[in-house]
Amino acid sequence: MTWSGTRSLVAVVAAAALVLAGCSAGSGLTGSSESGASASSTSEVTASSNAGVPEGSTTAGADQSSSGSAATPAPSDGTLSLGLVLAPANMDFTTTDGAAIPQVLLSNVYETLVTQAQDGSIQPGLAKSWTVSADAKTYDFTIRSGVTFSDGTPFTAADAAFSIDYVKTKWTVGVAKAMEVVTSATAVSPTELKVVLAEPNALWLFKMTTRIGAMMSPKHVDKLATEAIGTGPFVVSGWQPNQSVTLTRNDKYWGSPAHEKNVVFTYFSDSTAMNNALLTGAIQVITTVQTPQALAQFKSGNKYTIINGTTNGKVMMTMNDGHGPLSDIRVRQAINYALDKPAILKGAWAGYGTVIGSHEVPTDPWYVDLANQYPHNIAKAKQLLAEAGKSSLTLRLALPPVPYAAAAAPIIVSQLAQVGITVKTSDVTFDNWLAKIFGGDHDYDLTIINHVEQYDVTTVFSGKPDYYTQYTNPEVTKLETAGLAGDHDTFIADFKKVVTILADDAAAAWLWAFPNLMVTDSNVHGLPENAIGESLDVSGLYTD
Amino acid sequence: MWWGLVRRLLIFLISAAVASVVVFALLTLVGDPARTALGTNATPQALIETRHQMGLDRPFATQYATWIGGMLHGDFGTSYVTHLAIGPQIGQRLMVTMWLIAGGMIVALLVAIPVGTIAAVKHRTATGWILSSLSQVGIAIPSFLAGILMVALISVKLGWLPAGGFVVPAQDPGGFVARMILPWLSLGLVQGAVLARYVRSAVLDEMGQDYLRTARAKGLTQWRAVVRHGLRNASIPVLTVLGVQLITILIGAVVVERVFVIPGIGSYLVDSVARQDRLAVQGIVVTIVAISLAVSFVVDVAYTVIDPRLRRR
Amino acid sequence: MTEHTPQTQSPSTDPVTPVDSVITDHRRWNPLLIVGGVIVLLVTVTALVSFVWTPFSTLFTDTDNLAVGPGVGGHLLGTDLLGRDILSWLMAGSRTTLYVGIVAVGIAAIVGTPLGMLAGMVRPAASEFVMRITDIWLAFPALLMALIFATVFGASITSAMVAIGIASVPAFVRIVRAATIVVMKTDYVQSARVAGRRGPGIAIKHVLPNIAGLVIVQCSVSYAIAILAEAALSYLGLGAGPTTPSWGRMLFDGQSVISIHPFLVVWPGLAIGLAVLGFNLLGDGLRDRFDPRLAGR
Repeated sequence: MTWSGTRSLVAVVAAAALVLAGCSAGSGLTGSSESGASASSTSEVTASSNAGVPEGSTTAGADQSSSGSAATPAPSDGTLSLGLVLAPANMDFTTTDGAAIPQVLLSNVYETLVTQAQDGSIQPGLAKSWTVSADAKTYDFTIRSGVTFSDGTPFTAADAAFSIDYVKTKWTVGVAKAMEVVTSATAVSPTELKVVLAEPNALWLFKMTTRIGAMMSPKHVDKLATEAIGTGPFVVSGWQPNQSVTLTRNDKYWGSPAHEKNVVFTYFSDSTAMNNALLTGAIQVITTVQTPQALAQFKSGNKYTIINGTTNGKVMMTMNDGHGPLSDIRVRQAINYALDKPAILKGAWAGYGTVIGSHEVPTDPWYVDLANQYPHNIAKAKQLLAEAGKSSLTLRLALPPVPYAAAAAPIIVSQLAQVGITVKTSDVTFDNWLAKIFGGDHDYDLTIINHVEQYDVTTVFSGKPDYYTQYTNPEVTKLETAGLAGDHDTFIADFKKVVTILADDAAAAWLWAFPNLMVTDSNVHGLPENAIGESLDVSGLYTD
Repeated sequence: MWWGLVRRLLIFLISAAVASVVVFALLTLVGDPARTALGTNATPQALIETRHQMGLDRPFATQYATWIGGMLHGDFGTSYVTHLAIGPQIGQRLMVTMWLIAGGMIVALLVAIPVGTIAAVKHRTATGWILSSLSQVGIAIPSFLAGILMVALISVKLGWLPAGGFVVPAQDPGGFVARMILPWLSLGLVQGAVLARYVRSAVLDEMGQDYLRTARAKGLTQWRAVVRHGLRNASIPVLTVLGVQLITILIGAVVVERVFVIPGIGSYLVDSVARQDRLAVQGIVVTIVAISLAVSFVVDVAYTVIDPRLRRR
Repeated sequence: MTEHTPQTQSPSTDPVTPVDSVITDHRRWNPLLIVGGVIVLLVTVTALVSFVWTPFSTLFTDTDNLAVGPGVGGHLLGTDLLGRDILSWLMAGSRTTLYVGIVAVGIAAIVGTPLGMLAGMVRPAASEFVMRITDIWLAFPALLMALIFATVFGASITSAMVAIGIASVPAFVRIVRAATIVVMKTDYVQSARVAGRRGPGIAIKHVLPNIAGLVIVQCSVSYAIAILAEAALSYLGLGAGPTTPSWGRMLFDGQSVISIHPFLVVWPGLAIGLAVLGFNLLGDGLRDRFDPRLAGR
């Protein structure tokens, strides 16, 4: 089963993605959470919770599911502190949306039956193996024996069945909808779990690698907001709201134990304070660099390692394709010609990331390099505007409170001014962004946002005007539908066409693929380099 | 005098009640708290449910009564954002802020009294003029800027002190002091500059008084006369100013806590504002305002008790 | 006893309002007034000039010269992280500073002055009532008020300056009331009363001209407070947006790279400090100049 088989539901998600992108204030670190608006999502599925280490990684993280951690040292008694931006509001991701809670708890504290590796394949987790019936409706899992919750209670198929039912009955967050396809989950024996789906759904198993697949103990679900009891390599040993979450190694863990005894997730609302904390040794890792220009202070000498990985984030200036002057393709193309994207990336994000030209990131399997589709060309831009009869044009640019928007906006305003476009910027709160731009009447011309969901092109640009981009193109809809239904090769071919058409239509001004920028003390290793999942897996973290 | 005290107490209580109504009205009636609490989950159905759950469909007076009734029992409600009880958070963080303010105040006094007195006694000389000018400059520097600069220099560049954070003094007294020195200084130096000007003019006032002239005529040096008689009398108006400054410093702590990552009431407030956590903002603001009014009340009473002239009125 | 509730008075109306002896000693030659006046004039002129001329457009981002030092690429004071000319931004920033100050102080003066005059002219019981209200009002300083406004109306420079303005009202009420009481006791007001003049007439003919100086002094002092509050709010990310030239915003943007490009913090910091100093000095100087008799109140 490859991810291509899961395409069909991708489309629904994007709303949430966006939201999170915004809400995490540009952290862009983890996959996003879905909010109530979204029906289901595959997008973050491919994020592996047992993050293997990608090629070329500067780190030496352990892939715990393969238990092959020859290169990593034995467990230590050390404590490592990580700096993060967005603090979890509470410990309960069954009722509270957002990236912050799964980021710390998933795979570190709560584990899933199946996990996903970097290459998209599904790997055994708490389930040793599984079989799928011929009609693709029945899944028989063999549960690993000898697994216990951190309170000592054994983990059995009954707990797994309970957890699945619990998602269906008690979860309130939007992501839980993906579990609705399940008609029954039964513990046949302590090690055998039978799950029956209402209809075949290749996506479901992928969803089981995300937070909705988290296995919980029936004894503790009443206190989820303040106590997290799972089967994972860590237990939560301390929580100071808005300040820190302390994870301590679970000595009863069934797999290979975590290296560090304590890992403290420390939350900083101010990026300077976080930088200072690393510089003065209060923390050992900055997991989210908010001001890439400040990285220069970590470059001199070899005290620090800068990790420049990838995310699925696409920073873009979204245009309202269905309204006003921007419904004219020539105006949109003119804007793309007017923008000097390499200069924007250099100025706004210190050159970290990759310039992109369509709704894709270089790690997407259908990636087509379209970054040079609209080379910076002021004359061409002016000519297109003149053809459209818009030689002087005033547009509104709404800025949500995220660092990348604040950094990119002044440069964009400057560059558009050179072709005769006056841009009036306004700062919007997230509430207003959601209510008026993303939702409501989509009353906007331009906005800057990082769409962090993986493979969300079918949502953001479905070809039907049902999304805030208001992009309409029946050809795109046709290709996407056919691609999702077809085999792998068709799928890739069709999606390559889709992203090319989007670039041709200048459906937006894509700016750069958002990098996963982290800084660590140079003796810290084992951090997953690429942020594509919901969790920040710290079980492989170690120091030398 | 007793009637005066009772009257002042009544004024304090009524003021606090009025302030709480204003805060509650502002944060409940303007905008839609339910929508804010739900954020992205705000479907029409959810909105109705949440409004009901939050009691927003009830009359204003009932809502207020429920809220204030809980507050009086220490129950500030449970945040719709964090699902945590607000009261304990406020209590915990207030303790942290108290440490910050107490130290900042001491630094301020240590700066203000000598600087202000010297500036007054030597007011005709270059020393006095320089000190006055310095305090003017001190007032003009935002305390957070002083903090940022000190962290950059003393913590990051020189590595002498931690850049921020907070440890409970009972657990690690050394670490506590090390982390608090810079916050105390950035809060205290600027406030000290403000106070120094009041000390200076209070001492100047006293220096013009007859008894000081008499004392000097009796052969006391100007310095001794000022220290022996003037400072005590000058301390009364300065005490008053201190009360005002305590309120200013309580609010000023908001930014200093941000610079130094101190988990006090100020950072709780700013975090809650950023999260649109209205119930928490409500509770924190009312707490801060009540403290301000209480400080005013206490200073007022102290003033009456100390100053016999006022007592007679 | 209403004159003696000093604990809740704003610093500018305290019983021992600092009176700089330099003034007292050299009443005619008043260096504070001159220095303060020159600084305020400088800020004002800079703001006005920035409307018609800045070395570079404030929109212009010189992406070939990011965060360069003084002189590079024709940028007299260098550029910020996004390649914007620092001098141009400092100049345009004075515009925002003046704007915020004028709106905030305007609100405070327009609401506070009549209220204070009223409180000074009505019967003691009513006056006492107004004072109790201002006491409560004083428990909401500018920054606290702005944080409440940011929660309710969203963070923006508009909500910030309105909040600062509202928070500055009670200082005006107090000082105007105190001065009004003094004026009302003067012989000419008493005789005007005897002559049958009514309250509003007295207020406009006699009280207002006599307290105008003090109101101007208070404006200057409140102005300094407004500048500081705006800077603090910008630092907390609740002030000016990324495309608004503002000193507070420049500080906010620059502080993350203070150890690499210290001047990104130093320049706006100096500008803020200078402007606050200017308005404070001007306020002190004017206080003495306008009415030495009321200066000590």
